[in-house]
Amino acid sequence: MPSFKVLVVDDEFDFLETIVKRLQKRKIDATGVGSGLEALKLLEETSFDILILDVKMPKMDGIETLKEIKRRWPAVEVIMLTGHASVESGMQGMQLGAFDYVMKPAKLDDLIEKMVQAYERKLLREKQIR
Amino acid sequence: MKENFSGRSRFVNYLVPLCLFAASWPVGRTGGALYALGALILAGLSFFLFRHLVHQINQAEQRSCELDEQLIQSQKLAAIGELSSGIAHEINNPLAIIGQEVEWLRHLFETSTLQEEKDRGEFSDSLKQISSQVDRCRDITHKLLNFARKMDPVMQAVELNRLIDDMAALVEKEAKLNNINIIREFQKDLPLVTSDPPFLRQVILNLLNNATYAIEANGTITISTKDNKDGRVEIAVADTGRGIPKEHLKKIFDPFFTTKPPGKGTGLGLSICHGIIQRVGGTISVISQLDRGTTFTIRLPIAP
Ligand SMILES: Nc1ncnc2c1ncn2[C@@H]1O[C@H](COP(=O)(O)OP(=O)(O)OP(=O)(O)O)[C@@H](O)[C@H]1O
Ligand SMILES: [Mg+2]
Repeated sequence: MPSFKVLVVDDEFDFLETIVKRLQKRKIDATGVGSGLEALKLLEETSFDILILDVKMPKMDGIETLKEIKRRWPAVEVIMLTGHASVESGMQGMQLGAFDYVMKPAKLDDLIEKMVQAYERKLLREKQIR
Repeated sequence: MKENFSGRSRFVNYLVPLCLFAASWPVGRTGGALYALGALILAGLSFFLFRHLVHQINQAEQRSCELDEQLIQSQKLAAIGELSSGIAHEINNPLAIIGQEVEWLRHLFETSTLQEEKDRGEFSDSLKQISSQVDRCRDITHKLLNFARKMDPVMQAVELNRLIDDMAALVEKEAKLNNINIIREFQKDLPLVTSDPPFLRQVILNLLNNATYAIEANGTITISTKDNKDGRVEIAVADTGRGIPKEHLKKIFDPFFTTKPPGKGTGLGLSICHGIIQRVGGTISVISQLDRGTTFTIRLPIAP
């Protein structure tokens, strides 16, 4: 397993706690925060490779957070998580530069596989720029 | 798939009457019959060969036509992209200055004591209006710049069937509400393709979205994949929707071409798809029949 840092952003506390724990059990360096604003604040201090971002959050929703993150930290790869399937938000998310769109409840193995691919993309992109 | 089938059935069409004819030949004149049969088979074969050649030539011609069109389209897109990003840049600068001046005015206004109460209200409303309109313009210019931005693809291994299945799942729930069925006809042992996954997701979503819009309600979308055995894989998205009138076919990949009511569509969907497919080295084409449906076909190189 390549080593990368993941930030999970979700306002549902139970979900957040469980997923961070399960990822850590798989030896993945995972952190969780409960809102888009907290995510932005944390990104100012710490760098992450991958963000798992819930689409539906109060105040600053996932799409808005994604926009801000891609503007300020374009190197971070973002995987959007959504509870209900919506074409509109899916198209928006992909157009704003998300790596993938995953429906809840996602299987942990699937999610991890997508993270590995997202991380591979991040490395490849860094190589291209250099 | 379809081409193979029609090719085979044509061959059968020639063979069957030939065999029937041979079988009905009287037994007593076997020698003459053999010659005749030989001649017939030869004639049949050469006819078939000739048809096959003509067919191949036609196909080659069609392919080069398609290539020409793709080239023209990409040049057109590039020109429009350049133009719009040029304009967006030009407008961004004065916009920034207007925005700054508004801020300055607001500052002067807040520190002055000269204004009467009712004037103050109007003055401040007016300032708010200017800055919100500036924001709106900025939003438009950013969208244009975004459209024109040339993002280099990042090529990595893609399990195409899986990627398409994920995007279909995203569309499926909403589609079911309108009684639209999504049928997957994936080739099982499709080779891994080296391409840009998020770009491809964007394209598939756009095509699926267009297909559901064209069907409105009650219909099917068939997504299929296959290995073309020529170093390319093929993805087809076929819908049973309203179809595209002939006079529109040439325009659908143009930016801003839309038949949706004002404010409902940007008309950028297909031109973005075209740009993406071009950048990952593939082609996208369309076949449509009015009131019957539309099929978009993407061909992607397996290795870049
Ligand atoms: N599957 C389809 N069936 C029938 N017509 C289609 C189909 N796909 C595209 N079109 C036609 O092509 C036009 C352009 O499509 P495009 O995706 O570029 O923009 P749009 O769908 O109109 O707007 P947007 O993508 O911003 O919602 C459509 O308005 C429609 O007329
Ligand atoms: Mg569209």
